[in-house]
Amino acid sequence: MDQISFMLNGVQTQIQADKNWTLLYVLREVCDLTGTKCGCSTGDCGACKVILDGEAKNACLIKIGSLEGRRLETIEGLFHNGKLHPIQQAFIESGAIQCGFCTPGMIISAKALLDRVSNPTDDEIIEALNNNLCRCTGYVKIIEAVRMAARLLAE
Amino acid sequence: MADQTKQEHPYIGANIPIAQAALKATGQMIFTADMKLPHMLHAKVLFSPRPHARIVKIDTTRAEALPGVHAVITHKNTPNRFYNSCGEVLNEYMTEQLFSPVVRYVGDKVAAVAADTEKIAEAALKLIDVEYEDLPANYDPERALDENAYVIHDNGELERGNLILTVAQSSGDVDSAMAKADRVFSDVYECPAIHHGAMETHVSLAVYDAEGMLTVYTPSQDTFAKRRNLANIFDLPMSKVRVSVPAIGGAFGGKIDLITEPIAAALAIKTCRPVRLVYNRTEDICSTRNRHAMRLYLRTGVMNDGTIVAEDMRAYVNAGAYASGTTSVVWAMCGRLFKVHQCPNVRFVGYPVITNTTIGGPMRGFGSPQLFFAQQRQMNTISKALGIDMLELQRKNLTTQQGADPRNQLPHGNARPIDCLNRAAERIGYDAACAEQQESANDRYRIGVGIGVGAHGNGMYGVKADITGLMLKMNCDGTCVLFTPSNEMGNSSVTLQKQMVAETLGMPLGDIDCVEADTRLTPYQLGDYSSRGTFVSGHGALKIATSMQALLAEVAGRMLGVPADSLRFADRAAIAPDGRRVSLEQIVLYSRDHDQKELMCAESFASQAAVMSYGAHIAKVRVDTETGEVKVLSYAAIHDVGNAINPLSVTGQIEGALQMGLGNALSEDMGVDEKTGAVKNRTLKRYKMLYAGDMPRELTVEVLDSFEPAGPFGAKSIGECSVVPTLSAIGNAIANAIDAEVNNLPITKEKILEAIAKKTENKA
Repeated sequence: MDQISFMLNGVQTQIQADKNWTLLYVLREVCDLTGTKCGCSTGDCGACKVILDGEAKNACLIKIGSLEGRRLETIEGLFHNGKLHPIQQAFIESGAIQCGFCTPGMIISAKALLDRVSNPTDDEIIEALNNNLCRCTGYVKIIEAVRMAARLLAE
Repeated sequence: MADQTKQEHPYIGANIPIAQAALKATGQMIFTADMKLPHMLHAKVLFSPRPHARIVKIDTTRAEALPGVHAVITHKNTPNRFYNSCGEVLNEYMTEQLFSPVVRYVGDKVAAVAADTEKIAEAALKLIDVEYEDLPANYDPERALDENAYVIHDNGELERGNLILTVAQSSGDVDSAMAKADRVFSDVYECPAIHHGAMETHVSLAVYDAEGMLTVYTPSQDTFAKRRNLANIFDLPMSKVRVSVPAIGGAFGGKIDLITEPIAAALAIKTCRPVRLVYNRTEDICSTRNRHAMRLYLRTGVMNDGTIVAEDMRAYVNAGAYASGTTSVVWAMCGRLFKVHQCPNVRFVGYPVITNTTIGGPMRGFGSPQLFFAQQRQMNTISKALGIDMLELQRKNLTTQQGADPRNQLPHGNARPIDCLNRAAERIGYDAACAEQQESANDRYRIGVGIGVGAHGNGMYGVKADITGLMLKMNCDGTCVLFTPSNEMGNSSVTLQKQMVAETLGMPLGDIDCVEADTRLTPYQLGDYSSRGTFVSGHGALKIATSMQALLAEVAGRMLGVPADSLRFADRAAIAPDGRRVSLEQIVLYSRDHDQKELMCAESFASQAAVMSYGAHIAKVRVDTETGEVKVLSYAAIHDVGNAINPLSVTGQIEGALQMGLGNALSEDMGVDEKTGAVKNRTLKRYKMLYAGDMPRELTVEVLDSFEPAGPFGAKSIGECSVVPTLSAIGNAIANAIDAEVNNLPITKEKILEAIAKKTENKA
């Protein structure tokens, strides 16, 4: 077992894990943060997106050993003091959520984009979501939700 | 066609976000794979590497000896009762066992392990020694029908050989109509096996406790049939089996069948500990269920003016290794052939056949996507051959509001496919798009316009007792709890039930708490399938809300001194004609304190109508004739859902269906390796579902202003119908762009280039 320290949703965190375990496994099975989902384990579906040092990444492809000293944000980090993040609000109101399994990963991809670009074009939104699969929505309302989130964040 | 009942309904026709959306947005929604119970073990399954083989020896000694392993199960130490995994045909064509001494496809279950961790379970699988004796394998349904083909199941459950059942229906006189037709068109269409692709893979968590109670938590569209199947397999009374659905991360028909449940249950019974079994994506693709691969032979007899006089379809349906719901799918698709055209002479013969491939099962559309791919593709061929525009040809032949099934004269309901088609043509700019098609006919980049029409049902009336049971009880502050056998799998079906209650009782949606899909806690229903969510279960919710309204009105009428039926319900109150009101809270408290009575209802709703839903799609594509690349430039999808109860959800269903349908048309294909029998595309890298960037940027999704008299508040289904016309709209657009026929899906670049080359060759 190895000891790994990193910033998890704004809190300095230390965990015991085999450094070769994936970040996804550690989040779900060690940290009990099950908001990050597993849809493929091959980096193709985006259900396990997390924000690592400002970039949206698939947690299933990251070894926990590489987390030392880094800054990680998961879906659980967006919901503060009982208040939904504007992106979450936008996803709900736009009808961007159906079964909800891809939703945390979608919201994380959207957040990584909106943290970087406050008023993204449709091309930028689509590019940011283009590694996230959704079998329910056809992406139409998800794209609309990101547009709405940008507006809400600007207010 | 707008109806007066559309007026002044705050919760009907409103855009309502899906129930529990905040849980889903925050990651707080607990899906089955998120659940952990004290002392829980992890399971892995050993899958067959052989397409067809007898297990002559299986030795689990080394696996059992591995530290951390708690149980290894095989056909030798588990119940051997035959079952059918699909609840719709639960007592028919029982070919499957928990584990069989014969494996029948690459991916069939051989053994399973429960261990302290998933890694240990995985390591233990490698220590199970299996000796196989290979048997002849067959991957094609037509070849498997051959007299000399090896019979894959010999337990007497099937019609003959590998044929599960001949499904045959006809109306009129097809043969003489065909003989009199000016032209007869005859083509063969092929559709591959399709992965449901729900983002949540199949998973179960089973508990077997000291009281002998077996509890299985699982994402399920058919909760009550799963309990019945589990009770049969393990020889338990239903009072000792509970199936509970925590959440469903997408289903699309794939979560009707019993798949991971009995394995997790057997391990839980063996170890007396909770056992969680989560399939990874490759296991989900190869070892669950898929949309059936089919080969369809279609002949259509037409007069020179475009009138279709006879339709004759023969379908070879690959059931895969076990029967599952294949016959049910073939019956459903058979029925659809009689629902769209005015033609009186129609014949369908379907052959669902067992082969050595992954199991075919229920999937969104139940055979309709394949059926309409063939029918609508051939319409396009006919249109070109007769020189009659496709729009005209459709209008001439499509059924109307007076239309009826030619087999039995049962009306289709308020059938409006032509209105859908006309609107789609208007929205996409059909004439201008056709002109573009013509102008680009000799260019490298060619424009193609394609029309597809499709239909689907509304429940199982006429086939099965189509029942939904519900319970409703009032809380003493005037809010309530609805006990529904449905689970909100993403299609807003539970949200819609809440809308019915909110509307009827005059309370906001937030006042309605819901207990969902749990055999211990909720009444029975047929299942969350067959497009019955709105038309049947939604109607059930309206019925129970109406019953509760009557109870409340009776009390409120006495409180206010007015007749019960003079009251209306709004703003959390019963309101008398003179404006005096009592709140729901006051009514419930009065009932408890004065009448000494709890206000609660239980109802069962049975559907009594078999109406159809229709849709028309038009696609405009651009084909690069040098690379074969297809870009869907614009797309219009117009449906008739009667009165849309929740337009936000209805359009969401159609948009989602396009992701699935366009993928099925252009890129998705499980594939079978002819040498090994294995699924070819076993990961999401190879099994290509569409991402956001693959979707058309110009997309029009609309529903008609309509009303179905038999539906709750005039509503009917959308979930399955939405995916049906897509395959043919895309197929026809590509065929029109390249002026060549591609009749086997998916329509890949390679197939397009091949068709272009063949055409050039023929010309030369």
